[in-house]
Amino acid sequence: MKFTIQQSTLMSSVQDVMKAISSRTATPILTGMKIEAKENGIVLTGSDSDISIESYIPAESDDNVNVENIEPGSIVLHARYFPEIIRKLPENNVEFEADENFRVTIRSGKAEFNLNGQNAEEYPQLPIVHTDNSFEMPIALLKQMIKQTSFAVSAMETRPILTGVNISLKDNILNFTATDSHRLASKEIPVEADGLAFSNVVIPGKSINELNKTLDDSEDTVEIYVTNNQILFKTRHLNFLSRLLDGNYPETSRLIPNQVKTVIYAKTKDLISTIDRASLLAREERNNVVKLSTSGQQTLEISSNSPEIGNVTEELTVTAIEGEELKISFSSKYVLDALKAIDVEDVKIDFTGAMRPFIIRPTNEEKILQLILPVRTY
Amino acid sequence: MVRKKNHARVIFHIDMNCFYASVEIAANPKLKGKPLAIAGDPRERKGIIVTSSYEARAKGIKTTMPLWQARKLCPELIVLKPDFDKYRAASRKIFTMLSQVTPRIQPVSIDEGYMDVTEVAAEHDPIAIAVNLQKDIFKQLQLPSSIGIAPNKFLAKMASDMKKPLGITILRKRDIPQKLWPMPIGDMHGVGVKTAEKLDKIGVQTIGDLAHADIYQLKRLLGINGERLRNRANGIDNNPVDPDAVNEFKSIGSSQTLPEDTVDPREIQKWLSILAENVERRLKRKQAAGKTIQLMLRYHDRKTITRSKKLPDYIDQKEDMIQITNDLLQKHWDGEPIRLIGITVQDAEEKKSILKQLDLFSYEKEETKAKLDHTIQALNQKYGKDVIRKSDGIHKGDTDLRTSFQKDVLMDYQKSDD
Amino acid sequence: MDTFAELAEIQPLASKIITNSIRKDRISHAYLVQGARGTGKRAIATLLAKKLFCEHPNGVEPCNTCNMCKRIDSHNHPDVHWIEPDGKTIKKEQMAHLQKEFSYSGMETNKKVYIVTAADTLTPNAANRILKFLEEPSRQTIAILLTENSQSILPTIRSRCQVIDLKPLNPERFKQQLIEKGMQATNAALIATLTNDIDEALQLNDDNWFAQARKTMVQLIATLAENVNDAYLSIHSQWEGLFKERKQQELGLDLLLLGFRDLLYFHMEKTASMVLFQPDGEKTSQLAIRFSQEKLIAILQLILKAKQNLKQNVHPTLVMEQLVLQIQG
Repeated sequence: MKFTIQQSTLMSSVQDVMKAISSRTATPILTGMKIEAKENGIVLTGSDSDISIESYIPAESDDNVNVENIEPGSIVLHARYFPEIIRKLPENNVEFEADENFRVTIRSGKAEFNLNGQNAEEYPQLPIVHTDNSFEMPIALLKQMIKQTSFAVSAMETRPILTGVNISLKDNILNFTATDSHRLASKEIPVEADGLAFSNVVIPGKSINELNKTLDDSEDTVEIYVTNNQILFKTRHLNFLSRLLDGNYPETSRLIPNQVKTVIYAKTKDLISTIDRASLLAREERNNVVKLSTSGQQTLEISSNSPEIGNVTEELTVTAIEGEELKISFSSKYVLDALKAIDVEDVKIDFTGAMRPFIIRPTNEEKILQLILPVRTY
Repeated sequence: MVRKKNHARVIFHIDMNCFYASVEIAANPKLKGKPLAIAGDPRERKGIIVTSSYEARAKGIKTTMPLWQARKLCPELIVLKPDFDKYRAASRKIFTMLSQVTPRIQPVSIDEGYMDVTEVAAEHDPIAIAVNLQKDIFKQLQLPSSIGIAPNKFLAKMASDMKKPLGITILRKRDIPQKLWPMPIGDMHGVGVKTAEKLDKIGVQTIGDLAHADIYQLKRLLGINGERLRNRANGIDNNPVDPDAVNEFKSIGSSQTLPEDTVDPREIQKWLSILAENVERRLKRKQAAGKTIQLMLRYHDRKTITRSKKLPDYIDQKEDMIQITNDLLQKHWDGEPIRLIGITVQDAEEKKSILKQLDLFSYEKEETKAKLDHTIQALNQKYGKDVIRKSDGIHKGDTDLRTSFQKDVLMDYQKSDD
Repeated sequence: MDTFAELAEIQPLASKIITNSIRKDRISHAYLVQGARGTGKRAIATLLAKKLFCEHPNGVEPCNTCNMCKRIDSHNHPDVHWIEPDGKTIKKEQMAHLQKEFSYSGMETNKKVYIVTAADTLTPNAANRILKFLEEPSRQTIAILLTENSQSILPTIRSRCQVIDLKPLNPERFKQQLIEKGMQATNAALIATLTNDIDEALQLNDDNWFAQARKTMVQLIATLAENVNDAYLSIHSQWEGLFKERKQQELGLDLLLLGFRDLLYFHMEKTASMVLFQPDGEKTSQLAIRFSQEKLIAILQLILKAKQNLKQNVHPTLVMEQLVLQIQG
């Protein structure tokens, strides 16, 4: 195999796939980066087995020639040395060559590196995807859905399936749901998926956060493919793959109560700053529990008490309070997470009782839902 | 100071001045003389002042004031994050020093406590004791304190508040009309904002007003607490200094030597249920619940075993205790004749400080259980729970709420004692 | 051993059990393979893994040439997980890795194989996690536990696995193999009792250390026969310098055991079974008459006890000193 490429072009691709490579892996070949030369471009692949990133450098794009003198072939190079070598090459022009004994020569200016590579056949085979299993959506929207749900995944390994975000697609509605069993975040958006449907596709929280970091804020769209064991997010130059969590995600929709006892309409910003202040004196090791009670038609009292430090009470005038009087305690962290994730000016909170879940939504929208379980006080 | 008469007590209340700030200054003398505040999180603009040094207070800095406001009043303010480990260590040293004067100490929080020095005062002048104690603490730990000396806890507490820092104030019964009565009612220990508002409505504005207020009117307004407050305003407080008060909630148990040694399972069952009932009653009286259950068995040969089980949830019901101790019995009883059985609930906490994060997949079950508890609690609440004042500020210290944090601190010095 | 047919040569029963289950499409989701060193445990695990992934199987046999088979051999197949103890027990992070794998889908397909070598070294905690996994097997995964020490496997784990018992290798056959490879008959007899692994056997044969160790132990037996005090001193003057590592110390005790066993065989006139001493050597008969049969049996028990002590981390020098004093007593 052989190709000639610009150092800067190669470097930016190398950096992308390095995000997936870990030096601590149980599969020896994964400490390497796979480099594949094809007629129409170069593909770099990195993986820690949980996520895999493929970066594609087309031979030509927008009338620019990126890669020249391509002789197809592939090789795996140890990721500890390869990126540093490319970074420090003396000139922008890089010649890359590998022989049948997996010996690699990298030339740039007067520098020549000889490296031992490994047979690319030893590298894991990433799933082959079919276009009829895919749908498309704007990257910005995908990133928003991730931000609004992924924080709620469980950090505990006791129920591994809850450490992921469950995604499903039905009737052209895409749903993301995450819960650690103390709170649940869910978001729905319409997509054009041509009737494609799937459910119980659970992406590990770690992977989905990595995806969010990897995707640039751009106007572009992302194509999403679901296979039995992996999910692929495909952008113009990058393929991001993640393995899925094995197991059945619990049916959460039936756990969301629908009878409402008290409704509070409030300004998100006011709620956030008041609860944030109250949480300052709440005990951290107990998730900063604060107490909320309604008083009349428009006043909330938010308080917390931590005997060794002190207590704080603050009254907050809200837009409206409907229904029964309410006294409830909750983790301020969960509520702040939820309010910040919702990211709208006005919210509506449906309470179903002091020991039952409450639901935070934007006032005029049903597509996003943040459900939180209160704290029981005795 | 009057020499001790037959039944007159000599009580100290020792209160550390600006404790957290003082500990920080002692640890870093460069801070001395500078306005210093301890606040929630100094990086956050919205942090709240937890406590501050006298230099900061002189600039108008107050507890619970938002940081941005404090910085406006005092731009050179130094702000630190609370370091409870450091405060705990300092507190432990202080109480160890107190315990060298007398074992009769009742710690009430990390930075204040009562001492009953009646016996020591028979031999030494109590004022000299107080002066030396205050000096020693300041010399050894660089921590300022105020000491109130009085014939009871209430007056001692009021006295220690009168002169800060490094004050020693004696409050005799006969000083009450001049020193105590003119004070606004809100400054009285045991009177919170809500109570003060209520009292104001019946024209009670000073402690003196309260001392002379109509007792029936007070009772109607404040329940049993009304009478207690009025007594205190008259300088009457018979509460003893109780060194064990701090241990109160750690564990609650009951044991019984059986009429005769037995291997009869029915007999053992019977006693388990009697003991569980005792423990349940005592837990409920203290409004507490515990997380660990211990079974003690003493055999005919006096060999004693204790076996305990940690529980996922707090319990206070005898049914739960019977079931768990029975499991322990089945597992650990070797069949030898039993002479004594004991049940103890450990890791006990006041119910109001017990919190449980509910779970999406099990909240419905929890709710059913709670409804039951609630009914029982409603009954308990009839019995004058309101006597306990809620904390209304940091600087005043809080005598009634005890957290595990404080308990640990307060127990610590006892540990270091033995 | 690249095929079940080759496996059948040394483990006919095990090979038959497994190939039958493959033919009937009744592969178990969990195997516990137990047998001494060199009896083919890894070969079985590898064959089972290949069977699950091979792209061109020939009946029950894997092709050994496809990309899957090759990567299983090189441990580069991302869905075949080898959990090998790193040191004495399986490390926490290895368990964490395994635990994570239990909850993840496969990388290439949903088929997965977990191979736990030295499963007896699992901590109870680790064993419980594996147990939990075995309780909820997923359709396309196989767990294969390997052990030399079958008594140390929790009964709860054993009962959830199909147990494959490997028979001990026939030392006589192995000895012949070694002789075929060019080893001297006397060496082959000794080495075949010490290992079942042909590579290790050939290595021992060429190893200077081993020759030295063998000499030292013969010397020690002679000293024990004549002057016990010298024997005690020789622990420090000779033994300590030569037997530095745990493996060497174990091998040393094995040699000592074989030496005394030879003397017992000599008494019992079972000279054909002797491996360390020459049955017709003059020295052998001189040594043998120094010890009664009862004494020899007692000594063998003491050596076995010493081996056990060594396993339980008693200080090696202490073990040897104690042994020598006890043999004297």
